[in-house]
Amino acid sequence: MKVMQMLKVAMVVLFLFSGLIGCSTTPPVAPMDDQAKVSQADMSQKAEVKGVDDSSMKGEAVPSHDAVAGLERIQFDFDQFTLSEDARRILGENAKYLNANGGTQVVIEGHCDERGSDEYNLALGESRALAAKNYLVSLGIDAKRLSVISYGEEKPLVSGSTEEAWAQNRRAEFKAVN
Amino acid sequence: MFVRWMLVLAACLALPWSAMAATEIEISAPGEQSIPLALTQFLPAQGPQAARVAAEINEVLDADLDLSGLFRFVSPAAFLDDAGRISLLSNQVNFPQWRMLGAETLIKGTYSVAGEQLVVEARLFDVVNRRLLTGRRYVGEVKDVRRMAHAFADLVLEALTGEEGPFSSRIAYISNLTGHPELWLMDVDGKRPIRLTNHRSIVLNPDFSPRGKEVLFTSYRANNPDLYRKEVYSGKEARLSYKPGLNVAGRMAPNEREIALTLSKDGNPEIYLVDISGRILKRITDNWGIDSDPSWSPDGSRIAFVSNRQGNPHIFIADIFTGKAERLTTQGKYNATPAWSPKGDRVAFSRQEGGRFDIYTIKTDGTDERRLTFGPGNSEHPRWSPDGRFLVYSLDKSGNRAIYVMRADGTGTRRLTTLESDCRHPAWSSRW
Repeated sequence: MKVMQMLKVAMVVLFLFSGLIGCSTTPPVAPMDDQAKVSQADMSQKAEVKGVDDSSMKGEAVPSHDAVAGLERIQFDFDQFTLSEDARRILGENAKYLNANGGTQVVIEGHCDERGSDEYNLALGESRALAAKNYLVSLGIDAKRLSVISYGEEKPLVSGSTEEAWAQNRRAEFKAVN
Repeated sequence: MFVRWMLVLAACLALPWSAMAATEIEISAPGEQSIPLALTQFLPAQGPQAARVAAEINEVLDADLDLSGLFRFVSPAAFLDDAGRISLLSNQVNFPQWRMLGAETLIKGTYSVAGEQLVVEARLFDVVNRRLLTGRRYVGEVKDVRRMAHAFADLVLEALTGEEGPFSSRIAYISNLTGHPELWLMDVDGKRPIRLTNHRSIVLNPDFSPRGKEVLFTSYRANNPDLYRKEVYSGKEARLSYKPGLNVAGRMAPNEREIALTLSKDGNPEIYLVDISGRILKRITDNWGIDSDPSWSPDGSRIAFVSNRQGNPHIFIADIFTGKAERLTTQGKYNATPAWSPKGDRVAFSRQEGGRFDIYTIKTDGTDERRLTFGPGNSEHPRWSPDGRFLVYSLDKSGNRAIYVMRADGTGTRRLTTLESDCRHPAWSSRW
């Protein structure tokens, strides 16, 4: 209540002041409280966000390596990077091919199906590719001939949201390095 | 002299009044209360009528304030003559008229267009107490009109809750509109999308630096998932971590001197701390399984991350200094993409259950888990607005993934991006 009384007194004082300052012809004077609460913001932008100028930039298409004819891809279970019996057998065959073709440099691509988070799948694809690489190294292939890259779920082999499509997309592929 | 006197007096007056305001309108959380608000059409003060300017101001204010969940809008159809009067002073507004319509708060404003120049005057009134709560004069160009309106929406939230709104910030995301996943930036209402990269490769997983207008992201441009940083205004871009294998999920620490980053150079995805030139400072995780996707606590002492060290992907929290990690989530078999809230109290994440992802939040001590989305479709990759009021995420219920926003309690969902491209990996900037 005391505050309200103070305010009333203050408003009267203000009114008198505003009367002193403003001359009789000016438009309605803003209450002091209004004036105190209104500030100004300069919204003109110092810089514009730099969008892409297509004409001046050159991007390279993602290079697509060719699959090595003698190297078969391997499949994984959902959310797994452990090698199945089947995968080990295929990797054994792949090791034979690599031994017979000593000059072949290979990049092992790790892939996931579309389920799961993109971020986690990048790591999962990497672990799949690494699991394949490590197994080939354990079979005597020189690690220097094998590199890995994970594409997570970015490059599905087949499209579609079926068990069949997912199973095919959970894979490691063996591509020739040019 | 008089003027100085008056300013002092005004400052003295403002104090008790604003203190009173805080007790009169109390808002604790979005959605819990709704204040009846009359949002009037902004009127031309000087210069020509510019229907588009007025429409944009009102469209932005309407959408932002509706999303806030704080308001119940008084139907404009019921507005009386005061809505059409250019009266921005509290001693000129016909408050009884607005009171009669049930309004407790009132937004009025004017605009003046002169060539390219635009001045917008915006005011928020307390109808019950017949006074001005806040006001601002925005000076700029016609093309700044949406930014002006967003800025006023931020101010309205500040005046009523004590905390500024996030509507002047930006959202970065990945869209394949050009045929390749590239980095894009848009306003928080999905408008004014602009493409920032032209890698024509695979660009993924953007994250803003805490204070700067700078984005970290991963790109396969150089045939490996490498970490890049890009200054939004200068367009300058640098590749900062390009070790063999993964250089993904880069998140700048609150101190902006360190980046938490997933590297697989040692034969297994692990989280490291690197400096801003990509030099490794420290390894944080050391484990046979996958460790990825870090999110900093606001004080920079801990990170939440995903690990499958106990079988399935779960959210863990690690102490940066000791490296000691504790499991945060116990439910479900697949928890991913943690995002630590800016207030520090909760972690948002997505969980796959029944073959579908939904978004949850949980307190950092592992209690009080709350489910925010209930399908249909996969709701993934949540990120907080800088004030913690909202979450942005991706949802694929309409075919392509699109970016959506909702309140932190799961209400108020709306789509921000169009469905013509696949949009994902949203990241919300700090206040711009």
